[in-house]
Formats: sequence, structure tokens, C-alpha cells
Amino acid sequence: MIVLLALVVLGTLLVGTLFAAMLDRSHLSIVAFFARQRVETEAPDRLNRDLAPAWYLTLAGAGLSVVPFAPGLALIDSPVGIVIWGSCEALVIVTVFLHGWSPNAPFPLIGAYRYAAIGLPVMLPSMFVLIAAALPAESLSLIAIVESQREIWNVIRQPLGLPLFLIVALAMTLRGPMDYADAADIATGTSAEASGAGRALWQTARLAMLVSVSAIAATVFLGGPLGPLLPGPVWLWLKTAALMALIVLLGNRIARTTPSRMMWILWVVLLPLSFLHLLISGLVAL
Amino acid sequence: MTLTIVLLGATALVGIGLYGALSQQSFVMLMMGLELMLNGALLAIIGFWSLSLGGMPEGQLMAIIVMAVMAVELAIGFALIVAVYRKRQADVTESIDTLRQ
Amino acid sequence: MTDLLVALLAVCAVWTGWRVFRVDSMVRATFSLMLSFVAVGAIGVLLSAPYIGVATVFMMAVEMMVMAIFMVMFMMNPAGLNPMSMVHQHRVSIGAGVLAFFGLAAAILVSRPPSNPVAPDADVVTELGLELLGPSMLIFETAGVTLLATMVGAVILSSRQGRFGSADEGSRPPGLTEGGDPAGQRPDGGGGGHHHHGGHG
Repeated sequence: MIVLLALVVLGTLLVGTLFAAMLDRSHLSIVAFFARQRVETEAPDRLNRDLAPAWYLTLAGAGLSVVPFAPGLALIDSPVGIVIWGSCEALVIVTVFLHGWSPNAPFPLIGAYRYAAIGLPVMLPSMFVLIAAALPAESLSLIAIVESQREIWNVIRQPLGLPLFLIVALAMTLRGPMDYADAADIATGTSAEASGAGRALWQTARLAMLVSVSAIAATVFLGGPLGPLLPGPVWLWLKTAALMALIVLLGNRIARTTPSRMMWILWVVLLPLSFLHLLISGLVAL
Repeated sequence: MTLTIVLLGATALVGIGLYGALSQQSFVMLMMGLELMLNGALLAIIGFWSLSLGGMPEGQLMAIIVMAVMAVELAIGFALIVAVYRKRQADVTESIDTLRQ
Repeated sequence: MTDLLVALLAVCAVWTGWRVFRVDSMVRATFSLMLSFVAVGAIGVLLSAPYIGVATVFMMAVEMMVMAIFMVMFMMNPAGLNPMSMVHQHRVSIGAGVLAFFGLAAAILVSRPPSNPVAPDADVVTELGLELLGPSMLIFETAGVTLLATMVGAVILSSRQGRFGSADEGSRPPGLTEGGDPAGQRPDGGGGGHHHHGGHG
């Protein structure tokens, strides 16, 4: 059973990444990176430069492994599944920072610091939203959270949850309005000095993270594998695919603001909003 | 047996942390020493809770308190560093050897 | 099996903890410390404390990221890829560390703590939650109030505009040599210093 679940997780990650590449129309550029030469910077931190894309990919896999593919059935059936995902989010910030810091070059470093400064306040709404989703389930386990949505999905019960989490998802996948790490305004930021297979792997990992974060959002807010007629995994895949398309659309449609203004938005607007969300969810769950 | 391994690891962490806290000149590195000592404490608490106390819930509470202490230490520590930096434009302990002026 | 894994992780935690003070760069030191915490968190998960273990990883990843940001604010070489050794009272520190280790280790090896492991089917996360909001609620709330006080204190300590004027007024960088000329920028020389004198009317 565990082997089967592991295969399902890996297959979802693989097919999902391909689907994300299709949505993003980035498959050609990723393949092209394999043919490019590697760029060497002066005195880089080789270990972290080479490992950062692999860590990003690993975190995407770890995040997906706590998602239940059928009611009561997840690869990592942990009583604290949602905290594991939270740790993955926190470690993504560390990974992106290391990816930008390790080449020892200006633009990547700027991207890394910008992302760290934006990513840390993004953690706060993320945690409040996830805790609010755990309230009606009375458990931190994602399986219990799915079970708690049998009658009504969290997206209806906690209307602020999904929009707030989509912002987190944009930050986790370095996309659109939250892309302060790899943005074009600083010459692709943390990956400015990356080329060749490492760059291709980094882009792939971003797409894999899109799969992972969408699967978590589908589980927490859209009832995950719950649904009529079709079997559980199919429902999860459909919901995940829809959320992936939504996130890609949002990333393409919404403009990015300056880091200082985004900082203001995060601390002054989104943090109180997530407090309010937690309060409402708590009162509703009573 | 497991408890002894865990506690020896915790002890080593405390020892290394003490060395760091005493020897480092940079405030940030000094705080890393303190964090490492708290890490050792956390490990010891987890070990005792899991293997010697039969999982009484107060043990987990203790671990949570240690984490809160770490957060407080980090926040106040960095605020103090900022305050000292404003006054002396330096981030090493020698810069506040005399607290006059 | 668990013994072996725990031992490996403990060695890993100690080794990365030791690397914190051996590596050249502060970024490496910070994330080496984070790895040490991650190893401790993994030991927690192995020793049936899933919430404490995973929460440690989460907390420390965020905390070390904060540390890295602050470190760069104050370090002379932000990328931190130059050799670095800034130590004082080195011998005393080594002595203290070794003494602490051997003293505590002796205490551990001599003492016989009771063997009373967690029941395998215990729902420790629920127990923790009931404890936090039940018998120990006062302690938990005290921690919350302490954190609030910390936030207020941190903001006050680190604000530039203090009660008695600008916090960096008259600040003078330390000399490059003993009693020598100050290094770096001079705040009184204009330029960098933003003095706010509004509000005195």
C-alpha cells in the first residue's frame, strides 16, 4: 500500500509538473537550458548552488506526500500533517535564499534578500489560514481536515481562506505579483547566474512546487478527494489542476508592486485580514 | 540506552553552545551559541519526556516554553544589537567594553 | 533500529552545531545551526513527539532566516565568503565548554533515570492541546503575554527615534586601531544620518 501511495505521489508530481509546464508554456525554455553552458561565478558556495534546486524539488515532494489521495489515505499519515506542510513552506524560503546567496553575485543576492524579506511576513497569513482550516476538523491532520469537509467545503465555510492561501501559493512558486526572487526587474534574480542543468532543475522545481501547493490548497479548501461518482484521486487531480490553472492565471494577470509597498500590504492589510479570518473561522467552528 | 545517547548529544550541544557564547566576538555569533545551548535543552526535554516520564503532557509544554524562550531571546537580542549598533556602529562585544558616554 | 537512527541524528546535530563556529561565513553558520535544529526535530519525531519535532523545524527555519537577514545588516561582508574568525578568551571558552560537557556527561552516566517510555498508542498531540488549554492554560497564556511584551520591547529598543532624541546621535564608530580614527561613516558628517527634529514645537 505504501509503495502504491509513493508511486501515486511521484506520478502526480511528474504529470502535474508537465501540466504546469504546459500551462506556463515554459517547457521549451526548460529543455533549452540543458543545452546551455554552465556559468561559473567567482568564489561561489558550490554545495548550496548545486543542491538548492534539489532541495526545492524535495520540499515539493515532501509537501505532496502529506496530501490524502483518498479519504483516510495519505503517504505520510501524520497527526500534524498541516504543520509538516508549514515547515516545507518555511524551508522553501531558506532554499530560495540559499539559491540566491550561493553564486556570490549581486543580482542573485538582491533577489534572495528581497524574497526573504517578503517571504517571512507571508508565512504569517499562511499559518493563520492553515490553523483556521484545522479548527472545524479539531485536528492538525490533513486526513481529519478532509473528513471535516464532508458536508460543506472550507472554501464556503471560510471564504477568506482560499484567497489568502493563493497569495501564499504565488509566493511559494515565485510567481507573478509575489515573485520577488526571480523577477525580470533584477535580471531573473536568484537564477541570474544559473544556467545549464541547474537552471532547468530550478525551473522544474518551481513547477513541481506549484503542483504541491495546489494539492494542499485543494485538500484544505476544496475537500480534497471528496466528491460524487468519480474515485477520490481523480477528484483530487481535477481540483489540483483547476487550482494550478487559477494560480498561473493570477500570476500572469496581476502586476507586481515595489517590495516596500508589498511589505506594507503584507503587514498592514493581509496580516490583520488573516487575524479576522481566524476569528471568524473560530466563531463559526464553535 | 536511547535516553543516554540523546542526553549525551544534548550535553555536547550545550558544551559547544557555551564555548560559542563565551568565545565569539560578534553579537550574532554569540546569539547562535545561546540558541545552540537552548537546542541542547530542547533535546534533553524531548528525551526525558519520551523515555522517562511516560509522555506526561507537561513535558511537551516545557518544550513549547523553550521554543518561546528562543523566540524572545532572538527578538530582544536583535533589538539590543540594533540599539548598540545605533550607538556605536559596531556589532562586536568589545565595542561595549565600557558603557560610559 | 530507532536507537541507531537517534544516535546518527544526535551525531548529526552535534556535528552541525560544531560547524556553526568553524565555518567561514555567517550564512553557513546560520544554516548549519538550522540543520542542527532540524536534526533535533527529527529526533523528536522519532521519539513520538511529532508536534514538537515538526514545530521545531518550522520555528527554526523561520528564526534562522531572520538571523540571516540581521546578520547581513551588520556584517562587513554580506555574502560572507571570506575567511572569518572573530574570537576572544578562546582558551577559557574551550575550557568552559569541555568542562560543561564532561560534567554533564558524567552526571548522565552516573545517574539512573527511570525508564518509562511513551505508550505507543498515546495520542500525544491531543494530550498536548488539552494540556495547553486546560491545566496549564495560565502558563501558556503567560508565554503569550511574554511574547507580546517582547514585541513591544523589541520595537522600543530598536526604534531610531528614542524618547531622548535620535538614538544614533553622537554615535562614533570604533577605531580601526586602538584609539585611532573611527572606521566607516561618520553620522555627524551629514549624509547618512536622518535626524527627525519635527514635533518639538
